[in-house]
Amino acid sequence: MKLAVLGAGPGGYVAAIRAAQLGAEVTVVEKSEVGGTCLNWGCIPTKTLIASCELLAAARKSESFGIDIRGEILPNISKMMERKNRVVETLVKGIRALFKSRGITIIEGEGTLTSPHEMSVALRSGETRNLLFDRLIIATGSRPREIASAKFDAVSIISSEDALGLSVIPKSIVIIGAGIIGCEYANIFGSVGSEVTLIEKLPRVLATEDTEISALFERELKKRKIKLRTNTVVEKVGVRAGGIYVSLPGGEEVVAEKALVAVGRDFNTNGIGLEAAGVAKAASGEIKVNRAMETNIPGIYAVGDVTGGMMLAHVASRQGIIAARNIMGKNDKIDYTSVPSAIFTSPEIASVGLREFETAEKGIKVRVGHFPFRLLGKAHAIGEIEGIVKIISDFKSDRILGVHIMGPRASDLIHEATLAIRKGLKTKDISETIHAHPTLSEALKEAAEDVHGEAIHLGAGEVLK
Amino acid sequence: MNPDDLRYHKEHTWVRVSGRKATIGITDYAQDALGDIVYIDLPEVDTDVDANSEIGEIESTKATSSIIAPVHGRVHEVNDDLAESPEVMNEDPYGKGWIAVIEIDDASEIEDLMDATEYSKYVEEESK
Repeated sequence: MKLAVLGAGPGGYVAAIRAAQLGAEVTVVEKSEVGGTCLNWGCIPTKTLIASCELLAAARKSESFGIDIRGEILPNISKMMERKNRVVETLVKGIRALFKSRGITIIEGEGTLTSPHEMSVALRSGETRNLLFDRLIIATGSRPREIASAKFDAVSIISSEDALGLSVIPKSIVIIGAGIIGCEYANIFGSVGSEVTLIEKLPRVLATEDTEISALFERELKKRKIKLRTNTVVEKVGVRAGGIYVSLPGGEEVVAEKALVAVGRDFNTNGIGLEAAGVAKAASGEIKVNRAMETNIPGIYAVGDVTGGMMLAHVASRQGIIAARNIMGKNDKIDYTSVPSAIFTSPEIASVGLREFETAEKGIKVRVGHFPFRLLGKAHAIGEIEGIVKIISDFKSDRILGVHIMGPRASDLIHEATLAIRKGLKTKDISETIHAHPTLSEALKEAAEDVHGEAIHLGAGEVLK
Repeated sequence: MNPDDLRYHKEHTWVRVSGRKATIGITDYAQDALGDIVYIDLPEVDTDVDANSEIGEIESTKATSSIIAPVHGRVHEVNDDLAESPEVMNEDPYGKGWIAVIEIDDASEIEDLMDATEYSKYVEEESK
């Protein structure tokens, strides 16, 4: 079985390794760097920078923890970027080593399909190489969306990828789009001292999250002095001596040194020869796949961002595994009932399952439990008391339908809930499980208890926000 | 302990009236019940406020609570210092910890609020 994988991001590289484990002869074609957006311009570099920002914040409140630091505590963005580059390099090498150990061939160049079983690869050396395969996985990913009213120039009007190459901290920055990427960058720039204005056309930040979480997070933004303008449409972003201006309706203007546009991502479907192979796209531009991750052309699969839907690295990886297994003769289907999402803001936000407004839309009668981290011993011990855990369960069956967390280590805490939802567990399955003390995980247990009004550390009738 | 020259609202805010200007804040009882205050969400200058309605939020290490306006009027000034040092509300709730100055339309509604003696009794009842 000769398998070609086009794109070595978290969808493609994981698929390649699993297929090789199952006995396929795998060739990966990658035009820039293994690890894709996630490793090179997304998840990993931003989390590396966020780690620097968290250390900076911790150092600045060291006095309240009984540690005296003498001298000024300042972010050094060039060194932060150097560290980020080292982390990325290490992980890139790691994937290359994994490929080698599994006998996976990597061709560095731009692949274009010429038929359902053939690809021409423009190598970096300028030569062209032909690649024949029995099966194909397309995992070409996505790129930052450019809008006509705010064309990227990589200097003043920048994308989330350009932001990772900055060598000077901008004095001020306007971030357009208060989704996951916009909010993560608002926190990063806010931490290092930029004056941040976050502009969102929808009525609330993180519009895909539960409304309670959005409201709580908006207060955290305020605390961090990040200016937020919701319900605000940007008419135009332009460059003017020394910076940018953002035109808003009614003649209003916001000026800053830079503008970061984070309004979504576009599918990388152009120039890869989809037409030559006959692979169909949906009206919204993504490659159409079934739940086995196969496209309309038998033997051609697609995974990750290029297939639309939940554009998350961990979804891409799961899809990659499903595609690899199906190619190797299994009959797997992707299951999206329990997909966690994590937002690396300060505090972190993570969620899985239904949001409360969705249960209302679907007419599901629910119970809701809350527990604030500020009532937890461990949260006080580590000095991170902001946030809540919210659990939504089915009124009759008590099955957990959704869990929403804002608070310390939310991205790690969400997995107990992810497993619970995947396995159809009830709130009592969590509340009757002994949770170690003192840990942040106790907040999940207490929230599960609160679903039935039985949280130990929540006063009777206590109103929570 | 509760100054005699102030009037008190049952949601534990106080008012100091001087002409048409009413300075408001939270009471000593409120700051003590809240514990260490870590953040205050202040009302915006020039917004209209209704008596008995929420005009901001106070977050402490124990809880997040609404600030309830004791009077009607328009926000004339807010205590911006609280953004940097919210702990002042714990240290000096009737002085440096003031929250806002509200321009009032109707000074007579002040008369409906409690005086210091009444408020002390009210708090005593509440904490029983």
